[in-house]
Amino acid sequence: MGEAQIAKKTLLGMVPADSPFYRFHPVGRMALLIFLSVTPLFIDMPEVNLGLILVTLGLLWWGRVRMQQVRRYLPLLVTVAIFMFGVAFLAPGNRTALTPIRSVGATFYFEPMWWAFVSYCRLIAMLFGAILYFSTNRERDTLVALRSLGVPFAVSYVAALSLRSAGMFMEDFKTIREAQQARGLDLESLSVVEKAKLYTMYTVPLFAVALRRADEISNALFAKGYTLSGRPAGGGRRTDYLRAQYPVRARDWAVSVGLVGAFALVAALSKTTGVFSDHLSPLRAVVVGMVAAR
Amino acid sequence: MRLAVEVERFSWRCPFAQRDALREVSLAIPAGEFTLVVGPNEAGKTTLMLAIKGIIPHSLAGRHDGTVRVFGEPVAQKNAAVLARQVGYVFGDPDAQFTALTVEEEILFGLENVGVPTSEIGARIRRASELTMISDLLDKPPYDISGGEKQRVAIASVLAMDPEILILDEPTSMIDPLGKDLIVDICGSLKRDRRMTVIVVEHNVEAFAPLADRVVLVRDGRIEREGAPRTFFDDVESLIDCGVYPPQVTQVFARLQRRGLYAGPLPLTDEEGVAAGTRLLQGAGRWR
Amino acid sequence: MIRAERLAFRYPDGTPALDGVTLTIAAGEFVALIGQNGAGKTTLAKCLAGLLRPTHGRVVVGGIDTAAKGVMKALVRRIGYVFQNPDHQLFNTRVYDEISYGPKNLGVPERERDAVVREVAAVAGVRPELFSEHPFFLSKGLRQRVAIASTLAIRPQVIVVDEPTTGQDYRQSIDVMEFLTRLWRQQGHTIIIVTHEMPIVAAYAQRVIALCRGRVLADGPTREVFAQPDLLAQTFVKPPQVTRLARAWAGAGVRADALTVDELVDEVVRVAGGERAVAVPRAGRQEPPAGPGAQADA
Repeated sequence: MGEAQIAKKTLLGMVPADSPFYRFHPVGRMALLIFLSVTPLFIDMPEVNLGLILVTLGLLWWGRVRMQQVRRYLPLLVTVAIFMFGVAFLAPGNRTALTPIRSVGATFYFEPMWWAFVSYCRLIAMLFGAILYFSTNRERDTLVALRSLGVPFAVSYVAALSLRSAGMFMEDFKTIREAQQARGLDLESLSVVEKAKLYTMYTVPLFAVALRRADEISNALFAKGYTLSGRPAGGGRRTDYLRAQYPVRARDWAVSVGLVGAFALVAALSKTTGVFSDHLSPLRAVVVGMVAAR
Repeated sequence: MRLAVEVERFSWRCPFAQRDALREVSLAIPAGEFTLVVGPNEAGKTTLMLAIKGIIPHSLAGRHDGTVRVFGEPVAQKNAAVLARQVGYVFGDPDAQFTALTVEEEILFGLENVGVPTSEIGARIRRASELTMISDLLDKPPYDISGGEKQRVAIASVLAMDPEILILDEPTSMIDPLGKDLIVDICGSLKRDRRMTVIVVEHNVEAFAPLADRVVLVRDGRIEREGAPRTFFDDVESLIDCGVYPPQVTQVFARLQRRGLYAGPLPLTDEEGVAAGTRLLQGAGRWR
Repeated sequence: MIRAERLAFRYPDGTPALDGVTLTIAAGEFVALIGQNGAGKTTLAKCLAGLLRPTHGRVVVGGIDTAAKGVMKALVRRIGYVFQNPDHQLFNTRVYDEISYGPKNLGVPERERDAVVREVAAVAGVRPELFSEHPFFLSKGLRQRVAIASTLAIRPQVIVVDEPTTGQDYRQSIDVMEFLTRLWRQQGHTIIIVTHEMPIVAAYAQRVIALCRGRVLADGPTREVFAQPDLLAQTFVKPPQVTRLARAWAGAGVRADALTVDELVDEVVRVAGGERAVAVPRAGRQEPPAGPGAQADA
């Protein structure tokens, strides 16, 4: 490698080698994930969600996440937009009850279009929350957070193990496809039915490899003094070095409680008072005014 | 002399198998000795190792007879945590034994399992990773490093637990020549500096024979031969016949011995071979 | 038969695996690809077999450009690839179906197929009693032989075998290598192996291609490549122990490039005036075992 390390690999991408986020305990970072990605579910007003997106972008910048990496998600944002607005345009619902807008040679309807916009802002806000989380947290941070929250070791361990197996599974899958090709299989010339049949064929080697691995992994677990059936035999408790590396400080408690509290507050306000309703959106008032003026 | 491992008339049969994988095997390994186990595939080498580690009978179903003792106590009566501290086991395919998402987690997993205090774990990880030359890999995912590195991580994760006996099952079969040399070096320093009881199952006899105090040939579920490496390899043909390839230098001198050109102990290393050959050729007046 | 021109390959994450490889392999050669892990051996082999598409440069096998569209069926008749782990390439639930799978893909009529299956199974040492077995339950050595038989059934001119001896004991290694040698010598196949086992390379391969960081560092007859330990050291590969000994004794007139135990024993016997005491010191082989100032002919 040579040059100073600027990023570390995770299963889903990269995290910066150093980031101000790392000063916070993984539990606090998970609370941020909840706040940023679940709160939008309770917010219809697009301005608020757009504000949240701006906050998230600010946090990405502050957290030294390389923008190059965020840009990878751009195609996803565009695809979701095309899909949502496309549905609103092609299948607006009962046209008689809707407000038509004639523009660029086609007829749009205001209500479905607006609703698509509201949902899109919400979805993107949630998505950015998740992007922030996975761009600043490695798998081990997630594990530590889960364990700190009292999730039993076995559960978090199995979760990690399956994440890892998923990676190996993809590798195997790639090799098996190559092996199929090496035996004269021309994927391009196959019909859909034949392709479906092909996938059932993949299961034979995939199972063979997985079965042999399962055997080896269970032996490896025993060799390391662990049995999946539960606590290690021999009485003693297992220790948790990983968690011990991340002491929870007062600040972390404050951040976590604050974020979860803020989330609870927004959810409660939204349900009881409706302050986050899209009908109160100033943007909506402007657009409705413009539509009426035509 | 304290015995690390005693196997007494041990037999084992997998469910559905036609015959016993091990047939009344007896073997005693003194503490601090380096043992090289050789033999054809499917002869029972790995099965014997699994029995010493206690995976047989603890986590594999089957029918067994006889006893295996580790430091005087039957393994059948020890639990996984105790066995993990006493006997370290490195499997042949490092990929298959990794269960964690970073190298560091891979090493600390076992330590956590047997309840090593968290204050001690950092130092143990450091020591094990220095010995195996993987200190700069701790942060990496174990699937993102080379085959040789993987194998060294596997060894580090076992050494960190400070076992008294270390079993390595074909530790160099999947890696390149340089990687093989590093593994052999690690084994050498375990023998020299720690006087650890090491048992290595290998086809790569050339690399490990010079370290071995004793070589054991397993064939057909039995121990067919056992001896010090210098005498063990003299019957080259019959060894090759059972899938064992003695070091080339040993083969050369065994053949010269038969043709009446060499008398003396069979060399095991390059250096010994070069010296013996030079003497031989000088004796024949061929060296200028 | 095979021509690779300025071949480069990068993994999707940008890591370079091959960096400007140009080589030609003629029909009827027995070639070993050697080098450290990550040197690009397997990537090169897969590019030659058309399983990976090079990022730059091109590979032509028997007149077919591997990157062209729709050539896979024609290509597999020219070059077959046996993967390292047999489990990855056994898709069928019966050994017979496995061996006949390739010919079936290529549209070989059923009667011909049966004859082919029986023939290659016999060549590969897979007994007809095993035809209805599930490959999963066979031993590793047998599974590998089924995998080789399945590749042979397509009748490719070139056969690439990735790590034919890994995890095998010496007897089995010899069996596989003798088998490949028979295919090479008697049936005229071109054989390419990817391996770490230098004694195997020394005993069987005619030509060695040593890779280092995606480039060809040495390419030539096995004897010549192994006679240049300094060059080999750059690829982190050591010549076999026999060759190391031979070099050390070259001062006494032993030929410095002996490759096998038989060769070296015969040399020592000859030089020491044993049974065949015709001592003819070879000119130019008298220098002490220092570095010969090795030059790559890559």
